[in-house]
Amino acid sequence: MKQLIELEINGRIYEIPVSPKDLLVDVVRKKVGLTGTKKGCGQGDCGACTVLLDGEPVLSCITLAIACQGKKITTIEGLVAEDGTLHPIQQSFVEHGAVQCGFCTPGMILSSKALLDKNQQPTELEIKRGIAGNICRCTGYKRIVEAIKAAGDTLASGEVK
Amino acid sequence: MGNPNFTQVGRSVPRVDGPAKVKGEAIYTDDMVLPRMAYGKIKRSPYAHALIKKIDYSKALALPGVLTVITGEEAPNKWGIVPQTANEVALAVGKVRYHNEGVAAVAAIDEETAEAALDLIEVEYEPLPVLLDPQESMRRANEVKIHDDAPENILHSGDQLFGDPDQAFAACTYILEREFHTSYVNHAFLEPQTALASYDVQNDKLQLWSSTQVPHYLHRQLSIVMEMPMNKIRVTVPAVGGAFGGKGEASPADFCAALLSRKTGRPVKVTYERSEVFATNKGRHPCQIKMKIGLNKDGYIQAVDFDNTMDGGAYAGWGMVVMFYTASMIHLPYKVPNAHARVRRVYTNKPTCGAMRGLGGIQPRYAMECMLDEMAEMMGVSAYELKMKNAVESGYRSVSNLHVPHSEYKKCLQTAVEKSGYLEKHGKLPFGKGIGLAGGYYISGTAYTLYQAYKPHTTVLIRVDTEGGVTVHCAAAEIGQGCNTVMAQMAAEALGIRFEDVHVVSGDTELGTFDLGSFASRLTYAAGAAIKEAAAEINLKLKETAAGMVGCRADQLEIKDGRFCSIFEPRKNIEWEKVVDLYTNSVGTLVGTGHFSPPRLKGIDLTRGKRVQGANIGHSPTFGFSSQVWEVDVDLETGKIRVERVTEAGDCGQAVNPMSVDGQVEGSIMFAMGQALYEEMKVDDQGKMINASLHDYKVPTAMELPEMNTTIVDSYDPTAPFGVKESGEGPVQPTIPAITNAIYDAIGVRFTELPITPEKVLQALKEKNSR
Amino acid sequence: MYLNDFEYFAPQTSAEALSLAARLGSKAKILAGGTDLLIMMKEKILKPECLININDIQEFKTISYVPGQGAVIGAAVKISALEHDSLIKDKYFALHQAAGELGSAQVRAMATVGGNSCHASPAAETPPPLAALGARVVICSSAGEKEMPVEKFILGNRKTALGEGELLTKFILPEPAPRSASRYAYIGLRDAMEIDAVNMAVNLVLEEDCRTVKNLKLVMGSVSPVPLVAEKIPGILIGKELTDELLAQAAQAACDEAKPISDIRASAEYRREMVAVLTRRVLKQAFHAAAGLKEA
Repeated sequence: MKQLIELEINGRIYEIPVSPKDLLVDVVRKKVGLTGTKKGCGQGDCGACTVLLDGEPVLSCITLAIACQGKKITTIEGLVAEDGTLHPIQQSFVEHGAVQCGFCTPGMILSSKALLDKNQQPTELEIKRGIAGNICRCTGYKRIVEAIKAAGDTLASGEVK
Repeated sequence: MGNPNFTQVGRSVPRVDGPAKVKGEAIYTDDMVLPRMAYGKIKRSPYAHALIKKIDYSKALALPGVLTVITGEEAPNKWGIVPQTANEVALAVGKVRYHNEGVAAVAAIDEETAEAALDLIEVEYEPLPVLLDPQESMRRANEVKIHDDAPENILHSGDQLFGDPDQAFAACTYILEREFHTSYVNHAFLEPQTALASYDVQNDKLQLWSSTQVPHYLHRQLSIVMEMPMNKIRVTVPAVGGAFGGKGEASPADFCAALLSRKTGRPVKVTYERSEVFATNKGRHPCQIKMKIGLNKDGYIQAVDFDNTMDGGAYAGWGMVVMFYTASMIHLPYKVPNAHARVRRVYTNKPTCGAMRGLGGIQPRYAMECMLDEMAEMMGVSAYELKMKNAVESGYRSVSNLHVPHSEYKKCLQTAVEKSGYLEKHGKLPFGKGIGLAGGYYISGTAYTLYQAYKPHTTVLIRVDTEGGVTVHCAAAEIGQGCNTVMAQMAAEALGIRFEDVHVVSGDTELGTFDLGSFASRLTYAAGAAIKEAAAEINLKLKETAAGMVGCRADQLEIKDGRFCSIFEPRKNIEWEKVVDLYTNSVGTLVGTGHFSPPRLKGIDLTRGKRVQGANIGHSPTFGFSSQVWEVDVDLETGKIRVERVTEAGDCGQAVNPMSVDGQVEGSIMFAMGQALYEEMKVDDQGKMINASLHDYKVPTAMELPEMNTTIVDSYDPTAPFGVKESGEGPVQPTIPAITNAIYDAIGVRFTELPITPEKVLQALKEKNSR
Repeated sequence: MYLNDFEYFAPQTSAEALSLAARLGSKAKILAGGTDLLIMMKEKILKPECLININDIQEFKTISYVPGQGAVIGAAVKISALEHDSLIKDKYFALHQAAGELGSAQVRAMATVGGNSCHASPAAETPPPLAALGARVVICSSAGEKEMPVEKFILGNRKTALGEGELLTKFILPEPAPRSASRYAYIGLRDAMEIDAVNMAVNLVLEEDCRTVKNLKLVMGSVSPVPLVAEKIPGILIGKELTDELLAQAAQAACDEAKPISDIRASAEYRREMVAVLTRRVLKQAFHAAAGLKEA
């Protein structure tokens, strides 16, 4: 049943035994041990399990791990620089008070990254659309939108490479 | 703003757990894995009301990988957050009372096997009639009883009379009576409940990691269900992914993990599916409210009559307490000299209701704020004028003996009204656009334990030494609200050092000192008081040491910015660390403890001097206030309500961390807006929930975020530690009535039933046009 | 919430996919975006023995356009690709709109245009604009190829014309007529993550005077098990200029033809009323766009 597959996660190749039915969220959390990816509903409704697949935000709770071979998977753990520096989006979330319970945060940041990678200075509406699939019950979204906007400005100003 | 002399309190510092959370490194219970850990899953009932005739789990046990199965009979002790009404069990015993109630639990070597085993457990049921509406439940109590000890299908009822409302109403110029129906809503926190239990068979000790907001109450309940002394149980709270009251009781996940761990001798983790979060609910009570308000000719409230029938669902939970809270909430934030409340909390065969952000306040506030809006119109004055006229002030004592030591409620109303341009816009916007005002308040610091006890509600221990620096120990629960950051700020303020240098150890019943938990907006106030007391002890001892070092009297020293300074000779000063170093070298680790016991105010009818049953519930050391103005745009063809703008002003006393307060307020606003416009759990005619997913249970997304302007009004409660009050539950109170009043201003229809959906709006517009 | 065991295939070419489909027949389900399929499998509504993942097949993932002939959209084209494709936005605006309103950014990045039709949910976003724009589906099997209009392909709730061993491989959209415009609109409680209570698309063509309706096709979603082509509206509007009175007549005709049901999202009565509202709105918007006027 199980077969050994290679997954590229945050730039590293992992060899992992999986069944075809194994979902990416479970493989990332349980087999690779990257628990930053959260599971809030298991039905693709809350966005907490969002990871990037070749830069696109996908719901890892309804993605087959086996179908991710040959693609670049980015989880929240992949955003921090080698020296431990926070990614500008992460930094901005901390500074703007965009984090409360933190459970939506990894998925929210990855959705933000997918958005800002394409468009560093999105309008407020574009930001809202970009994160509409990530439910946050704590913050009321206001600070999250502000944090994304500020992170975009930082990225656009080229202060961070 | 607030106290200008504070240096650590009043700072908008980023939360201490922020970096770990944005990196995905914060550990939540479901992220934990222990050696030999097994996984538990719960088998649930397909009936909302049925007798359990037989459970056969032999086939499940035979499935390779299954370790054990438990049923309710193995742990039949009843638990409940309110001991007087405790009637829940870990797993159903003999009877199920709501759809998807747990009847058995499996432990297996992996979650998949545990899930597969559930299908192999055979349960024979004898279905019973299902009661879904509280009125029907009371009416049919003769033929269908949900609990044997509740012959009328009523958990509890209350009748509270203060003053002489009948006489007062007789003299009123303006009287209004209305009926309101509120909705069945769930917290929808993002992290499903999870519990990881590790039972040490050799030492008979249990360690439980749980996504709870009340480690202490969970600790107590575990002791009851597991039949273990509390000192053999340790509860630890890892990072919690939101709670909002929904994790304010033990959950069957906790018990099942613990029982399965004891039975298998392995650590066992139970993580709920989203459907189980809805099934076990404990969300807000739907209320059927009849309210009557009387004003004299000048618009002063003379009397309020309140009748509330609450749909409690299958079990007791927080029910009795929530019920009496609804009764108390008519006494503030306006002066009500006469009042009568009749309240009852009824059992139905639905997932149980419990505590949810702003519990007990939302429903009566909705009724009262909408009615005052209507009464202002009757009088031909603005709602603002009417509310200002009746608003409570510092030092107010209600007829029920609620004491308000400090209030900036009028400032809240004034600020929200001025900043929004309410008076310029109200009644003057084009048809379809509207603006609405409402106010509200909430308790701060709570007054009573849920079981009879006189012990302090919080104990804080501050440890100071050369090695560890400053560590604050308190078994409070960080559930995302930011208490670890705020406790560090308060401790730093009291000790005269920087908050960055304070470590907080919370969320652990063994490492932390006693605390009741994170609920009822009690923590900042309660922990603040205990921190102040503990710090005073530390300061006293360090000053003695410092005095010898700088050469002055200890009582002439003050501690500021990390230095001990002589008040009279500022040149005589020394660094804080050096004093600690000397103290530690000569005496050893320094420890200070502080306790907080709230004042125990009685619920008394002050006109008669008589105790009133249940009226001690609702008291608190102080109260926070909020006022909101909402602006809406109604699509007259589709009925869709678009919220354009909300202007909020809140009195949270001294804001310890203004950025954190803003976060609480903004979160509250969206949370309550969801209940006003979108959210509602729906059950079919057999009690099965038909929208138990975040797909069909519609919480606001970022697309629903309106323009939001919030203001922390200048406030400092001199009776409170650091001048603080609550900020996370008061701001949910005005939202629903303010939106409702704005819709009235827009289309001339007063909605008395939640949620206010496009379909209801369109129907109402049609009815209005046909009149 | 685990899936059943299944055998997994990831063909790299359409020929491979077709031979797998032929060999496995009803044992297999096609995995495109998975946003519907995997959830149904999690909920144990479906337990396929095999999954054929068609996402690696390059020709299923392309959008091509030949001026004067129209566009071809591969079945595995992601909804987000549709949303962001400038040609689709330019030529087939209603489809661009519908793609942008589907689910969330994540769902759009995962879900495919083929899957949206093959899942055959009555509330699906893209079938109404596809049908309004005259799209035809191409169905392939090892035996050959056939074409049919989208509205004939979807037969009912979760029912399509796909037979055993057949695959929907692409959509063919005709070149839009001169002076034409298409528009999409929907009714949902929130502004994101909605299953539409009603949705609707129209493609409208004007005469050279830029006032008279030359042709139109209006398709309703979520008010019948299949995308419902309004039959009477063309008769009411073709050859006429849009007036409020005619719009009202058209709206009434659409209402009369709609067959909505009551469910968790809306009552049948509300849906019917919304059909009228959306009919007026999309017709007006499309008219303005086709006439080159600023939208009302």
